[in-house]
Amino acid sequence: MRGKTTRGRRGIERAKYKTAGWLLGLLTVFAFGPRVAAQRLIAAASSPSNSDCLACHGNPSFSIQLGDGETLSLYVNQKDFAHSVHSGLACTDCHSDITSIPHAARTFPNRRAVSLAFYQLCRQCHFEQYTRLLDGIHFDALSKGNSNAPTCVDCHGAHSITPPNRPRTRISDTCARCHAKVAKAYAGSVHGQALAQGNSDVPVCTDCHHAHDISNPLSSQWHLSIPQLCARCHSDRKTMQKYGISTDVLTTYLNDFHGMTASLERSERVAPSQFTVTCTDCHGVHDIERVDSAGLERIKGHLLAVCQRCHPRATANFPSAWIGHYEPSLQHAPLVYAVKLFYAFFIPFTIIGLSLQILLHLWRVVVNR
Amino acid sequence: MKDYVIRFSVWERVEHAAVTVLFLVLAVTGLPQEFFWQSWARWLILVMGGIERVRWVHRGAGILFAVLVASHLAIALVQVSTRRVKPSLVPTRKDFRDAVTMMRYYLRLADEPPRFDRFDYRQKFEYWGMVIGSAAIIVTGFMLYFPVETARLLPGEVIPAALLLHGREGLLAFLVIIIWHLYNAHLSPDVFPFDPSIFTGKVSVERMEKEHGLEYDRLQAAEQLKRAEAAPAKSAPPAGTGSAKPGL
Repeated sequence: MRGKTTRGRRGIERAKYKTAGWLLGLLTVFAFGPRVAAQRLIAAASSPSNSDCLACHGNPSFSIQLGDGETLSLYVNQKDFAHSVHSGLACTDCHSDITSIPHAARTFPNRRAVSLAFYQLCRQCHFEQYTRLLDGIHFDALSKGNSNAPTCVDCHGAHSITPPNRPRTRISDTCARCHAKVAKAYAGSVHGQALAQGNSDVPVCTDCHHAHDISNPLSSQWHLSIPQLCARCHSDRKTMQKYGISTDVLTTYLNDFHGMTASLERSERVAPSQFTVTCTDCHGVHDIERVDSAGLERIKGHLLAVCQRCHPRATANFPSAWIGHYEPSLQHAPLVYAVKLFYAFFIPFTIIGLSLQILLHLWRVVVNR
Repeated sequence: MKDYVIRFSVWERVEHAAVTVLFLVLAVTGLPQEFFWQSWARWLILVMGGIERVRWVHRGAGILFAVLVASHLAIALVQVSTRRVKPSLVPTRKDFRDAVTMMRYYLRLADEPPRFDRFDYRQKFEYWGMVIGSAAIIVTGFMLYFPVETARLLPGEVIPAALLLHGREGLLAFLVIIIWHLYNAHLSPDVFPFDPSIFTGKVSVERMEKEHGLEYDRLQAAEQLKRAEAAPAKSAPPAGTGSAKPGL
């Protein structure tokens, strides 16, 4: 009964608030509604429609002369625009500075200056991507005066923008326009080859490097984060099972001296003074191969060279200090396994034995009293 | 007559103080490396100035520890071989008998605990446990310090085995000290709250009689002999400082 009353009272309260809300809403509409509506009307009346724009920009020969003498076409292909993700927008949604026709003429020294003048239009809607771009290495280069650093339109295009990841291979192709050498190495790698065959499990450029907030891949912070980067897929049991790849790769690496070092140095603020090997130092960066396709002898030779980068006096035995991505067992690293097994018994045995002796001693002291 | 005997020489007291400090430094810098994935370990390493510095402190303390252990063993060997001291820490058949008698005493099958000489079986166990453990930890420590040189002489697999052994042995040493040594030196009702003898060198006659009865009997016999020899002299020398030089 009591519960019902409370609920009833609550219901009344809610109704009160509802009414108050409606009243407030109505008041707002009466107070500001006409102004907003009027502004809209004025804007609609004053800003040119798409057909107004296309009256000039729909003409394939419409162009201007740039400062460096190059001719820049100002033609907007209507068909391309209609197929783009922005087909529902008005020209003036992006080009919001154009309020009347004909608009004032603008001059640019060269084609690059045009791109740099217009890419800022995107942030009106895509503010999140824009701020991420500000954190990335491309914007860093741009702000340091490299005008060739890519902005929105260089990767996405302008009037004919379609989803950048359809098909998925398009992402790599976009990056390849500038990073041709890396793209070639990637295309030959185990990941690149699988991508070309339509495999959607393998990473494309942006999976590791991100699209907008691209970090400097030569920084030590980036280098130290590589194990976690690779582990995103290589610790995923479901995905790795398909290819018969062990998911112990991260834990076995972390159990090693270098893995522990990288893991700890990653949480430090200061860049480490010494280099520590992570995944890519042995497996390659963009040219990653299947381990079994390389052959054991070649791998060993390759590993020694990797070790010698930091341990110049390392000899042929040295790479076998790395027992591979295996948990120690009788087959793999029996010596390590034996040590592990010994202490798994010896530590509890000693500690329990000593504790028993202490308890017996205490007990006898109590009895004596 | 004094009511205490001098049990530990000044050098032995210095050795104990040094090993205490080094053990603490090595444990504080070593255990977080053994448990590096735990948040407390990561915090501790960051607080101490990062893994690189922690490792250098660990290596420095490790070298000092190795020097201490080596000098201890060298001095002991020389003293024993020149018969300046009796090898009082060598396990004998009596130690095994004592252990059995002690167990019987604990279980109330015997009325009296065994009487011990200079070191009882538990002290010998701790001493030799520490010597063997130290040897293992020092050898593997140097293997990890010089992995390239190690791999030149031995198969590479020795290095990850040494890494595992070094960490596990360190953990075992730490646990033994925390549980066993802390009990015997601080928490045991016989000494609670603190047994200062390793710092002052002195042990009360009462405790000597109870814990090292055989040694005490020997000391007294030697003293009586001495007193008889020095009968014409006006004052007797204090107990325990004469012929019964503390041994290993």
